[in-house]
Amino acid sequence: MVAQPSRSDRREAARERAFTAASLVAAVTLVATIVLFLVQLFITSRTSRAAFGLPFLWHSEWNPVTEKFGALPMIVGTLVTGFGALLISTPFALGIAIFLADYAGRKVAEPVKYLISLLGGLPSVIFGLWGLFVLVPIIGKFEVWFGKLVGSKALVASGTTGVGLLAAIVLLAIMILPFSASLILEALLVVPTELKEGALALGATKWDTIQNVELPYVRRSTVGALVLALGRALGETMAVTMVIGNGMKMPTSLFDPANTLASAIANQFLEATSPIYIGSLIQLALILFVIAIIINVLARVILRRGIQQ
Amino acid sequence: MTPRKLKNGVMGFLVAASAVLLITVLVVIVWHIFISGVKYLNWDFFTKTPTPMGESGGGVFNSIVGTFLITLVAAAIGTPFGMFAGIYVSEHRGQRFADIVRLCADALQGVPSIVIGIFGYTFLVVRFRSYSALSASIALAFMFVPTTTRVTEEVLNLVPSGLKEAAFALGARRSSVAWNVSIKTAAAGITSGLLTSMARIAGETAPLLFTAFGSRYVEWNMLRPMSALPLQIYVNASSPYPALQQQAWSAAFVLVLLILLLQYGAKHLIARVLRVKA
Repeated sequence: MVAQPSRSDRREAARERAFTAASLVAAVTLVATIVLFLVQLFITSRTSRAAFGLPFLWHSEWNPVTEKFGALPMIVGTLVTGFGALLISTPFALGIAIFLADYAGRKVAEPVKYLISLLGGLPSVIFGLWGLFVLVPIIGKFEVWFGKLVGSKALVASGTTGVGLLAAIVLLAIMILPFSASLILEALLVVPTELKEGALALGATKWDTIQNVELPYVRRSTVGALVLALGRALGETMAVTMVIGNGMKMPTSLFDPANTLASAIANQFLEATSPIYIGSLIQLALILFVIAIIINVLARVILRRGIQQ
Repeated sequence: MTPRKLKNGVMGFLVAASAVLLITVLVVIVWHIFISGVKYLNWDFFTKTPTPMGESGGGVFNSIVGTFLITLVAAAIGTPFGMFAGIYVSEHRGQRFADIVRLCADALQGVPSIVIGIFGYTFLVVRFRSYSALSASIALAFMFVPTTTRVTEEVLNLVPSGLKEAAFALGARRSSVAWNVSIKTAAAGITSGLLTSMARIAGETAPLLFTAFGSRYVEWNMLRPMSALPLQIYVNASSPYPALQQQAWSAAFVLVLLILLLQYGAKHLIARVLRVKA
């Protein structure tokens, strides 16, 4: 005789199925989201692709009046601000991470770490507010001073504004610093103590140990952290939008107003009325999305290998 | 002094100097927000709606309401997806599809907020033919889900496998082990993760620009345009009127306080979890 499954057994089996289904659905949704984004952005930017085709990527004119659109000024703006910010912030990020891991005692390290996490959690728009009213005037003064130094009348004349590429680079450098510093610090903290002590026992100075033992040990994680920080800088929107000046032309100097892919969308999307203008802005978003996905996947691959080694 | 010792000293100095410089910059920024924010705070700021452009007075009550509504609804939409995806990844650790899901969550975390805003516009606003707070919440949910997934997974991985094995040995099913053992053990950690994710989306501006759009009135209907603190900060900062710019600093201060409160709650919960474990 086969035992009849009791009611509570059946209820539990049903719950089991519902639970498995729910977690599978959620997991599939997550993966589908990326595909959905890609398809949606691709479809809604078709007006722009039909009009400009692939040359959209390297055409340097962005003119809403004549409705000729090319993304090159924004791509250049994005790369210059992103790599510029990375270049400025990396030495400091390394310095602070090393300071916290090897030099600072607990009483110093804990509050500093808290301050860094506090800064990392500040919304982008607040950095933008600070950038616009505090940083930009300083950059403006620097611009005039620099103009006088090199004898450029144009810089001195335009130098009251301060908005432009340089302001965006400096602001981005400050914004990604907490992020890269805390990732590098995390890596430094797992360097085995025996390795460090071994080096010190051989008569190495503290810096010898850092340079020859610790930094090589965390090289891969550091590269991964920097790639992630770059990804953040490239896609950062509000703060850059507020200080970069919404320049439509190809920038020729660091003091020029410019746009990144993100800032062009934020600045212009609500003004765009024609289908081709809207489509072109959506295509900028598509380019940005693809860049962001590639950089993030790359960074994770680097970081995962770093852990395995 | 040998060159090696000299280098040791110089590099030590540089490392400390870079730390001092960063700390100075951080303190300057935080201090500035605090001072400028407190200076222009008054009772009207919390209870009134914005006055017409250029007139002084008024407040941001509409934005405070908006931030709460939009953030809470986004969290309500995102929590089940994020939690269950996290459970999936944790339960199927080491399997290929779980790895892909985790990678997708990581990649989604890196999607620029403006792209999420544009997506929200083309996918929701165009479809419903209206700007609405709900479309903003859904857009923010796309940022909320991946962070929640990762946090849930990490917290679940901390649950001692002995606990789960004991439950299995008693004949419990997978779902009841996950529900009654794993989730209940990790509940405080997961809640803490939810608060952290909320702190992250509460300050987002770009996803709201083309979805919530903003409104001068106190709005409780999620199907209509709505204001929020980050949106208000952006609009006021870009305006030419000093009174509105000052209000932006106060709004920034209030927003930071809100975020700190959420983060404090998250930290407090995590601390309790760690204490129980130890």
